[in-house]
Parts: sequence; structure tokens; C-alpha cells
Amino acid sequence: MPALPRSPGARRWAPYALLAPGLLWMALFFLLPLAALVRMSLSEQTQRFSLDAMFTGRVANYTEVLVQYGPVLWRSLAFAGVATLLCGLIGYPMAYAISRQGGRWQPLLLGLVVVPFFTSYLVRTIAWTTLLADQGPVLALLSWLGLVSPLERLGLVVEGRILNTAAAVIGGLTYNGLPFMVLPLVVSLEKIDPRLLEAAADLHARGGRTFRRVIWPLSLPGLLAGVLLTFIPAAGDLVNAQYLGGPGNRMIGNSLQNLLLVQNRYPAAAALGVVLMVMLSLLLVLSLGKLDRDSLTGP
Amino acid sequence: MPPDLPLSRRRFLARSSWALIGVTLAPSLAACTGQGKDSEAAAKAKRLVISSWPLYIDPGTKDDPGSVERFSKQTGIDVTYKEDINDPLAFFSRIQPDLAAGKRLPQDIIVPTYWVAQRLIDLDWVDPLPLSQIPNAANLLPSLDKPSWDPSGRFSLPWQTGITGIAYNIEATGRELRSVDDLFDPAFRGKVGFLTEMRDTIGLLMLADGQDPAKPSFRSAEGAFNRLEQAKADGQIRAFTGNDYQDDLLAGNFAACVAWSGDVAQLSLEQPKLRFVVPESGGIRFADVMVMPKGAPHRDAAAAWMNFVYDPVNAARIAAAVNYISPVRGVAEILARDPATAAMARNPLMFPDAAMERRLTKFGPLSPEEESRFDARFAAITGG
Amino acid sequence: MSRLVLRCCLLLGYGLLFAPIAVIVLFSFNDPAGRFNLVWRQPTAANWLDPLSDPGLTGAFITSLLLALAASAVATVLGSLMAYALVRYRCRGERVVNLLLVLLLTTPEVVMGVSLLNLFVQLGVQRGLGTLLVSHSLFCLSFVALTVKARLGGIDWNLEDAAMDLGARPGRVFRLITLPRILPGVLAAALLSFSLSLDDVIVSSFTAGEAVTFPLYIAGAFQREISPQIHVLATMVLVASVAMLAAGSLRQLGVSSRFRAPASFARGSGSSG
Repeated sequence: MPALPRSPGARRWAPYALLAPGLLWMALFFLLPLAALVRMSLSEQTQRFSLDAMFTGRVANYTEVLVQYGPVLWRSLAFAGVATLLCGLIGYPMAYAISRQGGRWQPLLLGLVVVPFFTSYLVRTIAWTTLLADQGPVLALLSWLGLVSPLERLGLVVEGRILNTAAAVIGGLTYNGLPFMVLPLVVSLEKIDPRLLEAAADLHARGGRTFRRVIWPLSLPGLLAGVLLTFIPAAGDLVNAQYLGGPGNRMIGNSLQNLLLVQNRYPAAAALGVVLMVMLSLLLVLSLGKLDRDSLTGP
Repeated sequence: MPPDLPLSRRRFLARSSWALIGVTLAPSLAACTGQGKDSEAAAKAKRLVISSWPLYIDPGTKDDPGSVERFSKQTGIDVTYKEDINDPLAFFSRIQPDLAAGKRLPQDIIVPTYWVAQRLIDLDWVDPLPLSQIPNAANLLPSLDKPSWDPSGRFSLPWQTGITGIAYNIEATGRELRSVDDLFDPAFRGKVGFLTEMRDTIGLLMLADGQDPAKPSFRSAEGAFNRLEQAKADGQIRAFTGNDYQDDLLAGNFAACVAWSGDVAQLSLEQPKLRFVVPESGGIRFADVMVMPKGAPHRDAAAAWMNFVYDPVNAARIAAAVNYISPVRGVAEILARDPATAAMARNPLMFPDAAMERRLTKFGPLSPEEESRFDARFAAITGG
Repeated sequence: MSRLVLRCCLLLGYGLLFAPIAVIVLFSFNDPAGRFNLVWRQPTAANWLDPLSDPGLTGAFITSLLLALAASAVATVLGSLMAYALVRYRCRGERVVNLLLVLLLTTPEVVMGVSLLNLFVQLGVQRGLGTLLVSHSLFCLSFVALTVKARLGGIDWNLEDAAMDLGARPGRVFRLITLPRILPGVLAAALLSFSLSLDDVIVSSFTAGEAVTFPLYIAGAFQREISPQIHVLATMVLVASVAMLAAGSLRQLGVSSRFRAPASFARGSGSSG
């Protein structure tokens, strides 16, 4: 942030006036709901279908949901972790190629990363169910290539199917996370001063060495931003598990929805929501110092 | 970083946003003016708002209007017929906050599943029906009079009833299915679906287990829950679905699944390989019923609608379109007179004869405590 | 990394990104036998000739467009003001504001939905378009604020200060100097918000009440009837955005590449092969 000369007087209150409406909005609809959620998570329902809950400081809500949904929570984090890793493995080379070798096509290449996301999330997910269906094109291609049984041994194909398996859910999460990995990485890689690379070349560093010593470390803040932007939405997702998963691959978002909309256990749902929120914001706060914040919102 | 690069990208993004707005606004403006006219007319005329399930009424064609249109023409009542109930519990959760707070819903008539209706009646969230204005209610089938979900019979009238049984694709199974045990045949591993509707799935399994779903208790359902849990652990069950089991049946992902009779009758028109069977151990009889949420504003119009759909001639049109079991007496006779629908009148899935009726059981009421235990246990298995 | 490997990665990545898109476009030309447009039968143009034949779908689509318009407008105004304040002024609590914005950005949608639903229910607020607008503008807000902030960070503000020092009236300074500079970033953020709102399903599923948006309609349709019109409307949005992308790229490749010569040169020489 540039240090600007400040003239005294009228301009002193200006930033607060500009911040006020947005802050008010966030206070009313972000902080207040979170506070109400914490309150609800420590309350007891007076009747099964009544929405009045009495605040009793009941911490047992937390222990109960942690016992009941602990495995689902871990599964969600594992799925999100694997999806994030896959996003990195596919996304880093993509971002590298776009930023280093895109040339005049760079804007187009960047645009093409975003374009699929202009169609509806749900329509895309339903399209995946068509692609991955038992008589769909992906399985047909794999069996034509003779890859079904090797993939079955790896656990990527279960009982001759991909749809309604863990692999399909992770694949869906990876698909949806990919642009959020690529865009911050491109920003970060773009920021690297070309003179550094020239200097490395002048010192007769070879490509691999330049990458390891210069490019990789300088792209880490962007990678971290990408990891956060992929991991956090993936950990809280419920759409992919619902449409692409089976009964054994549900995620914590599905549990939250079920607690709220099916079982009507409001305090338990609130407690689970708070647990998820705390875990993920801890992750965020811990990595905030090393993060390239500008790259969070993409190029 | 080359400073001009993001700028120009930004510019194209900015332009694209305006173009997008332009493209999309034109039809929306056109539609808005159309809607405006409608609502003006509505303000003058008598109104009626109904929420029901999709594909649960005769849609009609240009030459032969559907029930909603004919009713409107006959009575001058402007009907908003919304097909926005997709899941009984999601619907309950949607209306619950308003009803719990004593607020009025926009709907005059809603068509929840019987056990949701029972919950609404128990919570005193519905008004008694103006039965004196519904003379045709006398056409209600005797077997549905004063049912377990509405013992006084004052609060609800069935819209349609149906049978929960087993649907299968004969090509995928390679054989006819007869019993619930067939769903657990290892040959169909990973190709079997169950419903997220707990009463249907567990009810069917309880029947196969020799238990009586009409008087359910957590203990009598234990065997059903265990069997379901084991099948999930074995990978027998591919998915728990709502109505979307139809997608999976058509796409060939399910060989067999728990299903609803009318759906399969409709679906088999497009996929002749689909069959529906009431298992040997019996099927579950369910009902979706009309109730009036507390404080519904257009009572007279609601009564007129119920009277209209309980006229056997009108009920026959609806039954012929949806293929479920009509709750109205005399429908079979009307369908039998028309050669185009005569086959339906002989279909035991639409007009169960005494032998079929004996094989069907209604899932009985659960106390709130039992229901909580059932829901929690079921959610743990379906992975909700 | 060798060029070939990179090319393969690009191909794989874009293949993955566009696989479902291909299905959507293809199935917009499908002639399904029945209610579910899920299995390929035969090509037809009928769906495209009658894209609005499903009144429920059309209504939901219009609702979504208007909602996205309103939500992105609210978020863009509030967010841009915040971004401007954070970039141009130094004030107390700046770090807290920044942290809040990042926290809001990364809050899982399901938590946001649950907490808003709980609040609305506790306060007895009737859920519908109003609560949708609030919730959508909320998750768009942090995107706008952070995007605009990142854009404004790269701008040299001396001109504005100079104009002020020379006694130009603030309104004039804003119109002639400030606005043209912040506008591209603001519009980009508005577009981003628009598409985020148009696409949202998780938060909406909690806050919609009786209102039906495009994604919520599709979620319901999945239970009963997937009309090819869903694919047509999805393809239309896609085509519109691709057309704009193409127009934007052509413009860039032609006109502005002249100004980018030094940067491209630097990139060309800097590639490590």
C-alpha cells in the first residue's frame, strides 16, 4: 500500500465514511449471524419443531456432533485435501505455461480458464453425471483403452463404475477448484521480475535450477492463495457429494444440510457450522502472513 | 508485472458484463410486462394459490385444457398452481419458520405427504377444511376415510395415493424381480437404489422382515435398519435418492430400486424395459394430501377447488395423466368407458383390487421421540 | 519444465475444464424421448427455436438475472467504497477490516447459509427475494472489495493529489481523474459478482424461502424433468461470455499489443524453457 501524504481536516473522517456502509453490511449480515450461530450452538431447543431455542450454554452440543460427525468431518478435509493437491498438480503447470509461454494468447488462455464457470454450477455437475454414467463416454473410453481393471485396482473405479464413488466426488471438487488455483498462481508468476530470471541465466543457471531457486519460491504466496481458495470451498461443499457421490462419500456440508432441513436439530447444526468455520478460519489466519493477498481475487 | 495487461483484460471483462446484461435483460423486460398484466387481473379476480408436486396433474393441451385452466374458466378464480414440492422434509423446513411464527403462507392449499400433514395437524398449523362447502368430499374412498394421519378427517383430503414398491430394468437385471431380497442380490451390487424417504425404504424392509409398519416402533424397525446398514457397508447400495431415481433408472445406473408406482408407469412410456413390482412381502401405501395452512386467505376458492377435483369426471382426467391411485370413488368406471383409458381401469396399481389392497400397508404414526430416533438412525446410514 | 510437458498439461487442463461444457452444448441439441434430457437420442434444433417453452425455468432464469443485477449493484457500491478507502487513506483498524474481508471471502458457503438462515428465522424475517439479495450481496461484497483494492493498488494517485492541491473542486477531481481510473476495476468486480450470484446454489438453498432462482429450479428439475431448455439457456450464457471474451482478446491482440511490446519482450526472454 502506498504511503500517501495526508492533509488534515475534512479528509480525516473520509475513510470511515467510505468504509461505514460496507462495514455495517458485514456487521449486520456476517458478524451478527455468526454470533447468533454461536449462541444457537450453545442452546437447547424447547420443542422439536419450535424455532425458539433457549440459551443454556450447553457445550454438549459440540461433543455430540463431534462424536457423530467426526468421521464425516475428516473425510471432508481429506477429500478437499486430495482435490487441492490435484488442482495444484494440474494447475501449476497450466499457470506456468500461461504466464511464461502464453505470449499474445495469454489473455485468451486466461479467459478460457474462467469461461466454463459462466455456465451454471449445477448444470455442469449434472453434465458430469452424464459423462461418468455407467453407460457414459468416460467409462466407454476407459474400457476401450483397457484401463478399467487397472483403475479398479487403484480404487478409482469401483465395481465397474465411477459415478457415485469417492473418486467422482474428488474429481468434481478438483474440477470446480481448478480456476481458483490457476488464477492466483498466474498473478504470482506474473509478478516475478524478469530481470531476476535474466540474472539467473547470466549466471549460467540451467532451467531446472532457475525454477527451483527463483521461480518456485517466488510463486509460493500465490500457490498458498490458490490452496486456500480451493481447499476452503471444497471442504464446505455439498453439491458434488450429492450428485456425484454415493452413500459412503457424503461430506460435512451434506450433514449440515441434513441436520438443519431433515432432522431440524438447529443447535447441533449450529455447533457443526461453528466447528467448520473455526477450523477453516484458523487455517486462513495461520497462512495469512505468507499469503499474496492481491492474488486472492485473481488477475 | 506489465501494468497495461490486466487493465485491458479488465476492460474486456467490463464490456462483457454490459453485453451480458443487454442480452439477458431484453427477454426479462418482456416477461415483466406480461407478469404485470397478470397480477392486475389477479387483484380484481378471486384467487387461489396451490403448492404441489411436479407432474401431479393433467397439464392439458391447447385444444384440451388441463384441470387448472378448466377450473379457472368455470369459476372465474385465478389459480397459481406451483409445482414446487420436491422433497417432503425440505418443503416442511421451508414453511416451518413462518408457520411457527404464526405467519400466513402465500398458499391456500398445500399437498404434503401424509406424515408431514400429520405433523402439521399435530402442531396446529393447519385450518380445518370447510367440508360443508365440499359436497363432493362424499366421493372419498371409504378406505381413506378418517385415516391414521388425520383421525378426525377434518383437516385433510387425499390428492392422490400410491404404492411404494420395486422398479427395475429387465435388461439390466436379466430376470423378473419378485421380492425385497432381490434388491440384496450380490449380482446387482452397486446398482441398487433406495429412497431417502425413510418411511418408504424402512417400511418396505420392515415388511420383508415380517414386521408391521402400520405400528412402527424403533425396536420392530431394528432389523430393517441393520439390513440397510449392512447393504451399504457391502457396497450393495449405489445411492439414496429422492425422485431422481428416475434419472438413474433411465441412464442405466440403477438395475433396481425402491420406487413409486405412478412414476414408473409414466417412465415406462419412454423406457419400455422398466417394470414395477409390489414385492411378495407387501408394498407401502402412501398418500399426498391437501391441507389448508393456518390462516389461508382464500377459503371459498380452496373449497371450490377441492370440490372440483373430487368430482369423479375431473378426478378421472387427473388419474389418467398421473397414473397414481385416485382417492375418488367412481373413477375406474369412467376410465373404463373410454377405450383410450380402459386398460388403466384394469390396472391393479391404479385401482387395487381386494387382493392387492391386502398386500399394501400404510406406515403408521410415530411419536415425536420415536421419529427423532428413526430420523437420526436413518440419517446415519444414508450419510446425510 | 519442457515445453512439451507444459503443452500437455495445458491440453489436459483445458480438456477437463471443457468436458462438461461440451456435454451441455451437445445436449442442447438433443431430442430426448421423454422428460429427462440425460441420454443422447438424436439431434434437433427445436430446443433452440423455443428456448422459453418451460415457463417455470424462464421465470427462474429471469429472477436469477434480476437478483444478480441487484446483488452485484449493492456489492459493487459498498465494496468499491471500502476498497477506495483502504487504498487511499490510512486509518485505524485497517488490518481488522482487511482480515474481515478475507474471512468473509473464505467462509464456506454452507456456514454462511446456515448462519443467515438462523438469523432470519430468529428475527422472524420472511425469506424470499429480499433475503436472497442480502445473502448474495454479502458474499459478493468481499470479492468486490478485494478485487478493486488489488486493482487500485497499482494506480499512481499523484495526479489526483496534484489536482486537489491546485484547488480543483473534489467533485470535478472525482469525475475527471478518479472515476476513469477506478472504473475498469469496479466493472470487472461487478461482472464477477454478477456471475457469482447467478451461479449460487448453496447459500440460496438456505435463504430463498418461496423464491426460486435458476440453480434452485434446476435442483428441483433434477427430481422430475430435465428439459433441454436448461441446456439451451446454459449454452446461451456461455456463448455470450465466449463472444465477449473473443472480442476482448481480438482487441487486445490488435490494438493494445503495441503498448505491451516491452512486457512481451521481457516475458519472451525470461522464459526458462
